[in-house]
Amino acid sequence: MKQFLLLLKKEQLENIRNYKIYWIPAIFILLGIVEPTTNYFLPQILESSGSLPEGAVFEMPTPTPEQMLAAIMEQFQTIGIAVLILAYMGTIAGERKSGTATLLYVRPLSFKAYFLSKWTTASVISLVSVWLGFLAGYYYTFLFFGEVALIKVLQLIGIYSVWVLFIMALVLVASAIAPNSGFAAAIAFGTYLIIQLIDGLFGLNWTLSPVKIPQYGVEWLTGSPNSSVWGAIGIAILLTLLLFALGSWTAKRNKAKTKV
Amino acid sequence: MNIVEVENLTKRYGGETAVEELSFILEKATATALIGPNGAGKTTSLSMLANLLSPTSGKIIMKKDISIGFLPQYPQFFPWLTAIEFTELAAKISGVDIKQARLQSIKTLEFVGLENAIHKKVGSFSGGMKQRLGLAQAIVHRPELLLLDEPISALDPTGRREIMNLLKSLQQDTTILYSTHILNDAEEMTDQLLFMRDGRLIEQGSLKDVKKKHAAPYIQIKFGNSTYALEFVSNHTWKCEVKENLVLLPVSETGPTMQDVLYVLSTEKQDIIGVEFQDASLEEIFLKVVANK
Repeated sequence: MKQFLLLLKKEQLENIRNYKIYWIPAIFILLGIVEPTTNYFLPQILESSGSLPEGAVFEMPTPTPEQMLAAIMEQFQTIGIAVLILAYMGTIAGERKSGTATLLYVRPLSFKAYFLSKWTTASVISLVSVWLGFLAGYYYTFLFFGEVALIKVLQLIGIYSVWVLFIMALVLVASAIAPNSGFAAAIAFGTYLIIQLIDGLFGLNWTLSPVKIPQYGVEWLTGSPNSSVWGAIGIAILLTLLLFALGSWTAKRNKAKTKV
Repeated sequence: MNIVEVENLTKRYGGETAVEELSFILEKATATALIGPNGAGKTTSLSMLANLLSPTSGKIIMKKDISIGFLPQYPQFFPWLTAIEFTELAAKISGVDIKQARLQSIKTLEFVGLENAIHKKVGSFSGGMKQRLGLAQAIVHRPELLLLDEPISALDPTGRREIMNLLKSLQQDTTILYSTHILNDAEEMTDQLLFMRDGRLIEQGSLKDVKKKHAAPYIQIKFGNSTYALEFVSNHTWKCEVKENLVLLPVSETGPTMQDVLYVLSTEKQDIIGVEFQDASLEEIFLKVVANK
């Protein structure tokens, strides 16, 4: 526990001093704002582009506030996750590649504390970013498209947070496995796509798939919660714990790969 | 008292052997210099002792609960940490009491000459400052065993002298194993020499023993020209070597002493420029050992 707290402080300092603590939430807030704003102003945007023939009329259905929040989550699922992978791909692999890890690895280091301190910091920043992004999106959705009960939005955020924690564990395991940051990103992106693909192929029969958590979050928001949500969350938590074990073990196993 | 016993240590990477059958002992509060050309296996050996690498075979037996300090050849630091933050982190992870860690870190940074850079970020440090900080993190927890990979190679002559003096002061209660290719400095601080080449230990022993074995001291007589030198050799039965106008007489138990030589020369009429006692440098021994094996 002592080492975990020490390393956690080091990770916090790192994320403050390399400005991740500022720019990652900023990106999520931007993603949260852009979706409702562009949707609201889309007719004006198209009109001002000037390339439409005279007399052309567009009839676009106005999305419901719930659909708008779901669209924000879609942005997080694509651009947001990509940002998180790129931001944390070098957390372990980069330290090994540069040799900065060497001076830690030669000490009586607990690799569990090492891995968990990194995951905790990355997860806290990611979660705060996602929450701020959703809240910013919720505010603009409320302004432009109408009200959604705050409790429902918080439930969506809560369910989606489990998915984010799982993804961060996956990114850090990829970083523990890979010889460098680029490779770590490739593993993380690859795994992310593969699990989406598997869910797409076999998901109908496997309702407890953690990949469905974002979808279940939206269903919860629209008032038709799926009973499988708790099972999927349970499996996601279990997989996250397994990833902790795999990450700590791999980080220790690969300590010889650090640059001396 | 033995702090470390290394037995038949071998490290292979696929078909490549980096270290082969390395065996030696490190006694308490002694300094051992690991010497060898590039690619001899010094860094790999130190990395195994520092528990960064696992040996392919062989054993490293260390004193129970021994604390180790390690300085890599090119230490890399988190550039966003200050010197005190990094040293304190190193101390705490090594088990130093949290209350003591700050004080000990400040003292250590002062000890290595970084007192004016304590609160500066490491990213702004010069190569020499990084080397000093590397030493600070290696000794901040007062380790019993200090492993240093080329600790002075990145330093200027003044820095080298300072760090050598620091290391000598640590030697009183720390066992030091260091690799170096600056042999003049190694000569100053060594109780044991380990010569490596191609991953193998090719010679070991104290400086005195190694010198005795490979390059005994000699008396050098410098004559005005080579004819006088050859004449001197033909007039005496001493075992000697002639190099142009120089006569080299090895010092041994059966050979002549300086006193004998001076007495004989006082009776000679040749043109004598000088007489000197010559001791082989570690560099000469190194070249001889590496070339011979």
